Amino acid sequence: MSFTEQEILETVRMFELETLDIRTTTLGINLLDCADPDIESACEKVYAKIVHQARDLVKVGQSITADYGIPIVNKRIAVTPISLVAAACGSDDLVPFARAMDAAAKAVGVDFIGGFTAYVHKGYTNADRALIESIPRALAETDHVCSSISLASTRAGINMDAVGHFSRIVLATAKLTADRGGLGCAKLVCFCNTVEDNPFVAGAHIGIGEGETVLNVGVSGPGVVRSALARLGPDADLLAVAETIKRTAFKITRMGELVGREAARRLGTTFGIVDVSLAPTPAIGDSVSDILELIGAERTGAPGTTAALALLTDAVKKGGAMASSSVGGLSGAFIPVSEDAGMIAAVRDDALSLAKLEAMTAVCSVGLDMVAVPGDTPPATIAGIIADEMAIGMINNKTTAVRIIPVPGKGPGETVEWGGLLGTAIVQDPGKYSCERFYLRGGRIPAPLQGYKN
Amino acid sequence: MARRFLTADDVRREHSGSIVVEADTIVTPQAQETARELGKVISTTKGPYVQPTPDRGPDADKARRSLPNLPEPLESDSQATSMIVTAVGKNRPGVLAELTSALAEFHASVHDISQRVVDGYFHLILVVETPQGVGFGTLKQRMECLGGADDYAVRVMHERVFRFMHRV
Repeated sequence: MSFTEQEILETVRMFELETLDIRTTTLGINLLDCADPDIESACEKVYAKIVHQARDLVKVGQSITADYGIPIVNKRIAVTPISLVAAACGSDDLVPFARAMDAAAKAVGVDFIGGFTAYVHKGYTNADRALIESIPRALAETDHVCSSISLASTRAGINMDAVGHFSRIVLATAKLTADRGGLGCAKLVCFCNTVEDNPFVAGAHIGIGEGETVLNVGVSGPGVVRSALARLGPDADLLAVAETIKRTAFKITRMGELVGREAARRLGTTFGIVDVSLAPTPAIGDSVSDILELIGAERTGAPGTTAALALLTDAVKKGGAMASSSVGGLSGAFIPVSEDAGMIAAVRDDALSLAKLEAMTAVCSVGLDMVAVPGDTPPATIAGIIADEMAIGMINNKTTAVRIIPVPGKGPGETVEWGGLLGTAIVQDPGKYSCERFYLRGGRIPAPLQGYKN
Repeated sequence: MARRFLTADDVRREHSGSIVVEADTIVTPQAQETARELGKVISTTKGPYVQPTPDRGPDADKARRSLPNLPEPLESDSQATSMIVTAVGKNRPGVLAELTSALAEFHASVHDISQRVVDGYFHLILVVETPQGVGFGTLKQRMECLGGADDYAVRVMHERVFRFMHRV
């Protein structure tokens, strides 16, 4: 036999019992050629081009699953930041673009489309402002559209005016989707050092350096890492833990490499990147929190959690880098609170505070993700939380993000059920002290010394 | 560069009753609808308009040429498709016969086999080669219908999955 029995059973176990899957195949589509002074024509082109380019995406995903036996959970689309495409229209209301994207997503049968996006880390264009102002309605009126805003970068610093603006937009989005627990905010994220080939929503979009179309793959598998660590046992030292995670990440990433090559070949497009990110789901065992607890934290949030997460993120990246020359995107470990049953349990048990989460984001691969706060949180406080997160990314030369949901009508400790992949959240207390003065100052936090690398 | 799009507005502005576009122009659904309403005919320089194949851009051709050059882990010489069938469940007489009979329907040949029974439960691995022309998907579907909830479960995976995961 060309493979040992152990190898075969290991692979089958990963798919059958440990919820290994290809989380997403995301087709990036450049929409710059859809620009038009007439907004109706521009939206017409956006719809037509997305449908034209992505019409086989779902079919190709299904055919790979059928031919290889590898589950591909989601098929998604990422497009050029819409603020660039819409700039020629001069319109103040860019919701029609979101509707066109949504209609196209429905027509081709994908589950999400990302790219209702603007880059304002240094400043605004008129179209950027129009896009950000359109976000609450765009997210309330569509089902599949995701929005992301770049607010900061190591090169540019933090645009605090934009941070303040974004925090008010988050609150407005929550209010418009109050009947669904503020769910619109689950489709809205802001970034420092945004990633232009990210296949995961809500941040998926393709940057202007990308080609006409590109196929990116997101591969996950917290359950596989968790099981590998469980087999390793509690007495192995941390070097053995890191080695086990690295080897497991290698194997997971190889599946992404295979699917990426095959999907790109079948679609006749360029294979962009494999994003190997341990992305938890509410399913039992599919949890990053469980991994941290297996490494040795009694509960996620206990002292040592940040160090354990640093080890995990780094080992995943190293395993990924060995497995594919195309590793990119965010790659590492995600800590979306509501989507991870272990994290929610840790919040419920008062083990995991907002402050500890923020510390963890300094070493995870993204940032504060799917965090619920009270619906009446002042914009200044939300802006402060975002600014802190942006500062961590800016100084550490890493991507950080904030996806925060002010849940209308809920206070600290209350539970909100979003269902599906988005899970359940417990509203967390952002503290009683304000940063109103800091918020009102506005302006820009200049780029740090780390940014001057020429 | 050819005209990229034809929109409803373009159709309305066109004075002639016949609009000629390039073969790879994307005619929006609204443009097609407007042309129908106004009785205008859209055609291409090469004949009647048909939805073009997607233009994946200038990088795509190069990608198509370079993709096959990426090294495959542990190249296989065989032209046939190999797949690995695993079955797990309660042991009873006839399981192996059921699996191999189904494979025989497709003229697939078993190249290797391994089976263990522990505490009344078995797991079975078959390395199978299917002749060219036999659809992997069809065979997979047939095999995975075998067994049942209280009996045994079959999983069929392409051999390339194992090569990618366990070989470099």
